[in-house]
Amino acid sequence: MNPLSRPVRPHLSRAQLPAQGWAGGLLVLLLGIVAAAAPWISPAPPNEMDLLAVLLPPDWSGPGPHHWLGTDNLGRDVLARLVWGARIAFVVAGGAAAGAAVVGTALGLVAGLLGGWTDWAISRLVDLWMSFPPVVLSLLLLVALGAGLGNVVLAIVLVDWTRFCRVLRSEVMVIRRQDYVSAARLIGFGPLRMIRREVFPGIVPTLLTLVALEMGIAVRVEAVLSFVGMSVPADVPAWGQMIADARGDMSAAPWAILAPIGAIVLTVIGFNLLGDGLRRRLDPRLLGRT
Amino acid sequence: MILRAILPRLLAALMMVVLVSVLVFVMLRQLPMDPVGMSLPPGATEADRLALTREFGLDRPVAEQYLRWGAGLLRGEFGVSVNLRRAVGPLIASVVPATAELVAAGLLLGTVFGIGGGLVLFAVRRTPWEGVGDVLTSILVSVPEFVWAIGGILLFGVWAHALPFIGRVDPQNVVAARTGFMLLDTLLAGRPAAFADALAHLALPATALGITLAPLVTRILRSSLLGVIVEDFVQMARLRGLTERQVLTRHALRNAALPTLSLIGVQAGFMFGGTLLVEVIFGWPGLGNLMVTAVRSGDIPVIQAAALVYCLGVLLINLVVDLAYLRLNPRLRLR
Repeated sequence: MNPLSRPVRPHLSRAQLPAQGWAGGLLVLLLGIVAAAAPWISPAPPNEMDLLAVLLPPDWSGPGPHHWLGTDNLGRDVLARLVWGARIAFVVAGGAAAGAAVVGTALGLVAGLLGGWTDWAISRLVDLWMSFPPVVLSLLLLVALGAGLGNVVLAIVLVDWTRFCRVLRSEVMVIRRQDYVSAARLIGFGPLRMIRREVFPGIVPTLLTLVALEMGIAVRVEAVLSFVGMSVPADVPAWGQMIADARGDMSAAPWAILAPIGAIVLTVIGFNLLGDGLRRRLDPRLLGRT
Repeated sequence: MILRAILPRLLAALMMVVLVSVLVFVMLRQLPMDPVGMSLPPGATEADRLALTREFGLDRPVAEQYLRWGAGLLRGEFGVSVNLRRAVGPLIASVVPATAELVAAGLLLGTVFGIGGGLVLFAVRRTPWEGVGDVLTSILVSVPEFVWAIGGILLFGVWAHALPFIGRVDPQNVVAARTGFMLLDTLLAGRPAAFADALAHLALPATALGITLAPLVTRILRSSLLGVIVEDFVQMARLRGLTERQVLTRHALRNAALPTLSLIGVQAGFMFGGTLLVEVIFGWPGLGNLMVTAVRSGDIPVIQAAALVYCLGVLLINLVVDLAYLRLNPRLRLR
């Protein structure tokens, strides 16, 4: 391809989301529907134990009520826990991504717009945060905050706001120097109106991409924290908790661990494909390359 | 000259270490735990409690408590583990080699496979295979390391019985710890069978770590190569009569190496944190297992020290990569 032909008709290619973006969006939508409809489509209550029916293999024989995906070590229906777990996953993903986006965007805007000392201080704060491995920091935070669903979300927000802050800060710094921003300032826009009307719309594409990616990350982090026993209480059917519960019987009942793993992988793939698709559609630098 | 480049980075890293230690200290102060109450024998009086509080220094202001702790760190005193009743310093020193070995093996695997993958994807550019590679890397990126770890255990450990998946070496192959690095120790002890066993134990956890790094390396290497290959100097090299292979190795790869290197640097830091989980899954007696055990039992001196060592590791890796970048990028040398 002739490199000069690259930026010829950017608006046409901008209007199309790449196929993988659609695939990711569809996957996320499906999972969202499952999560929303959990009380109606779940075959059994998620915490209903049946100690006479532990570690049953998946059963697809004939009609009638079955344990489609088998049961776990307490005789709980794996499919039911999987379906209810989708709710937890979406609560964690949505809450954590929204919180991290708000905190990170606010600090990124402040740093990028004010510059100078404020920018220096916020950037050093981000550096400080980045010198912790994320798992270690979230573990420390949960030790300090105590376990529980709300605190898991809070911990992810406190760990991952830097992702938003770093990227958006540099975006804002570029936008700030654009002529249309200077023009707005000359017309007499106040600072808040300037942010709302001129700067913020410029960072929305990146923000959306980051939110999609962050939702995938949050699902993953919840699983990791459950795994080391620092997440939700035992009666909450989170996917990570299911993995942790099923680990002891991995060789006798692989379905009990494969089901939540499959759910996590599918969800993360969905959010990642969606985020990648959005990035490719919205980032003008990538338009020619895909 | 080189000193002038290193010194500011070193100072900045030191500054970060101090700030990190403050942050860790402050965070763990929030703990709803009572170290005095945990250490008192049953039937202790209020006077005993006050005496012990004073002995622990908990009656002093937080800033002073931090300074005491920090001064201890400088003298190499990390405190005493509440549960294990051992000095934390030697405890940490005994587990760090295990983690370092894991990270090194994971980095090696991830880099080799990542670069291989990047070259393959670059070679098949503008063919239908490119789309296949795209989807494959997207999927690989999305799968977290613990999934590879559990999948590996199920497939190669439980099902095929091909690879061991608990610990660093079989009990019968335990050798005296001289360096703490199992691969080195078994070689120094002159026991090739034990070396092979240690290597087999390393295979699954290191692959789980490496496989999360590889697709990222693949992506960035390919996209840097695609960016470099349209440059004028590449066209010039072709016009001078260089073969496509020579163009790749002498010109394209050298220029594409820098973004790849800095990505590997950032990811090496993340991988260091990722070992925590992989260690828990594989029963690997390293820093991660030590920290998770400490977290479960509320062993604050160990948690503090382990968290600090993790940050030190990340900062050290960043520093090394920074310096390597400085050395390799001629554009930064002038300044």
